[in-house]
Amino acid sequence: MLPVFQDFADNLYAMTFEDQGRFWMICGIILAVILVYQLLLRFAPKAVAPVHQFLKKHPLIWTCIPAALLIYFVYVSLGWNLWVSVSNWGAGELKASYGFGGFGNYAKMFTSSNFWPALKNTLLLFSLIPLCLLLGLFLALLMDQGLRGTAVFRSLILLPFALSFVVTGTVWAYMYRPTGGVLNSFLGMLGVDVSFAIKSGSLMWASSNRTIMLSIIIAMVWQFSGYVAVIFLAAIKNVPTNIINAAKLDGAYMPRIYWKMIIPELKGATGSCITILAMYALRSFDFIVSLVGYTTSSAWTLPIWMYNEAFQSNNFAYSAAISCFLLALVLVLILPLTYWTNRRKA
Amino acid sequence: MNYSNLDIERSKEGQQAQTVKVRPRWHMTVLHILYYLIMAAFLIFYLLPFWGTVMTSFKTNSDVMTSTPISPPVAWTLEGYISAMEELGMPLMTSLVVTIFGAAGSVFLGSVCAYSLSKWKFKLNNLFFVALVAATYLPFQAILIPLLQTINALDLYDNVWGLVLVHAVFGMPMCTVMMRGYYADIPDALIRQAMIDGNGVWQIYRKIVLPNTMIATITTFVFQCTSIWNEMLFALVLGGYDSKPATIALNELAGTMAAEFNVQMAGSLILALPVLILYIFMGKYLISGQMSGAVTAS
Repeated sequence: MLPVFQDFADNLYAMTFEDQGRFWMICGIILAVILVYQLLLRFAPKAVAPVHQFLKKHPLIWTCIPAALLIYFVYVSLGWNLWVSVSNWGAGELKASYGFGGFGNYAKMFTSSNFWPALKNTLLLFSLIPLCLLLGLFLALLMDQGLRGTAVFRSLILLPFALSFVVTGTVWAYMYRPTGGVLNSFLGMLGVDVSFAIKSGSLMWASSNRTIMLSIIIAMVWQFSGYVAVIFLAAIKNVPTNIINAAKLDGAYMPRIYWKMIIPELKGATGSCITILAMYALRSFDFIVSLVGYTTSSAWTLPIWMYNEAFQSNNFAYSAAISCFLLALVLVLILPLTYWTNRRKA
Repeated sequence: MNYSNLDIERSKEGQQAQTVKVRPRWHMTVLHILYYLIMAAFLIFYLLPFWGTVMTSFKTNSDVMTSTPISPPVAWTLEGYISAMEELGMPLMTSLVVTIFGAAGSVFLGSVCAYSLSKWKFKLNNLFFVALVAATYLPFQAILIPLLQTINALDLYDNVWGLVLVHAVFGMPMCTVMMRGYYADIPDALIRQAMIDGNGVWQIYRKIVLPNTMIATITTFVFQCTSIWNEMLFALVLGGYDSKPATIALNELAGTMAAEFNVQMAGSLILALPVLILYIFMGKYLISGQMSGAVTAS
């Protein structure tokens, strides 16, 4: 164990103090400016009085540091990416060039044979949201029945949410192996004739082009539905008891109470869950890559396609065009959602 | 909507009303048995992957070949864990450094933003908040190429500190949104009082806001740690051989040891364990923090 620590410490030392000239230069300049300012403040306060006064008058100016980081790394980078997508940065070139090169990349993207399958897969991933919501609602109602062991059940179904996408991908790749995988062994134990099914081409899960997206969605539902259920359960428990009791006294049956009184109260929770699930569906790159790899083009979503074009084939301008389209798609999908949730509140 | 109460008890509101006692009838018992059956089926669905993973990780390689994945190992062994640790030892430490410094950085930046956004009015206040919230939805693919160019220009490619910088910046929007929810609970009267006593804006932040929201800060920090620990895309693009975090190492392990499932599963469990433990003990707080974030964001 000790040599590993030693290696790591050496490595970290090298990465911290040796390889990063320009970064340290910037840090050094910033430190020097602060030092000079402090010295001037100490020995010649009159010289820096205007600056000092300004900082005292506008203390929130320090918020500009995170704001500048945000603007540079998100908004300037988005603009830069947009420019790259119309630049004349040639295919396969590592050296960037930023002259104007026309909209050829977009034309190439829309006519590519990968475009429609990738778009379809990206949109299919969003079917994860209604599936998770339905399953989560069902589980939450089940947990609301006051059965024993509900607390244990709740913490167990929450466990998948904690896992990394990479872990989920690796584990489910093992689950989905047609022969010697966990799922098919389990089905075999239940009495399904697995070897016959594989011969006739079913139960292939992620190994077959037909069921690959289904397999990905099932695994993601596995990961997120427990989380949605816990959120819904919390929202159900927030419904005041006395109105439920009043309904019971009036002779309403429980299904009717759930349908008419409790489920309508879940709108807020549903909105938040949709927001969070949409975020995770958009970032499912890690998961699909570790489940089926980069090269399985039948599971390519737009992010994976973009990654392949950029970092496997070095077509940077082309991949920038793909990512711009992805961004537009996200805007189209997310903006109505945020509008809808805001209107609900107002 | 209040998500601070994630208990499975009903909220105290309205508890004074006398509970209506319904005498159990025969069909209720039948229903309960049905419910338990459904619950058991779902438990199998949720726990089958864990079962297969744990059982396989303790097997020898020949045992993996000869037995089904769901049967327990013939002889329990740590062989898989030892091989996995040989591959994952360095990357795990890299991950630890990136996670701790990245989360600390993003929590610091986020809390500064959240404090100025929630407690002070300034020009562009709303615009800044909208820009932050919009950044939480950002698909990272749309900034990957400029990001790579920036990191190259800073000489930070294949460097732990480059990853720390990137995680700190891109974790900041989520941290701001989460912490803004907590900071809104600090009464304004407290802040006004501190101002009358002659404290400046950042003295109030240091003396009042930070000490009073320690639990919120820790929750946000832990949440951020879990998401950075689990993250792979940035590490894949910006990291090379020297700064390889554990997620990449596990992904490579699945490629190079494609047949040795005991090593793969042991590696997965090693990577998952810290976050699983955090979620078992703090799950309630982490979820309510994220939900309060999503509520303010929407």
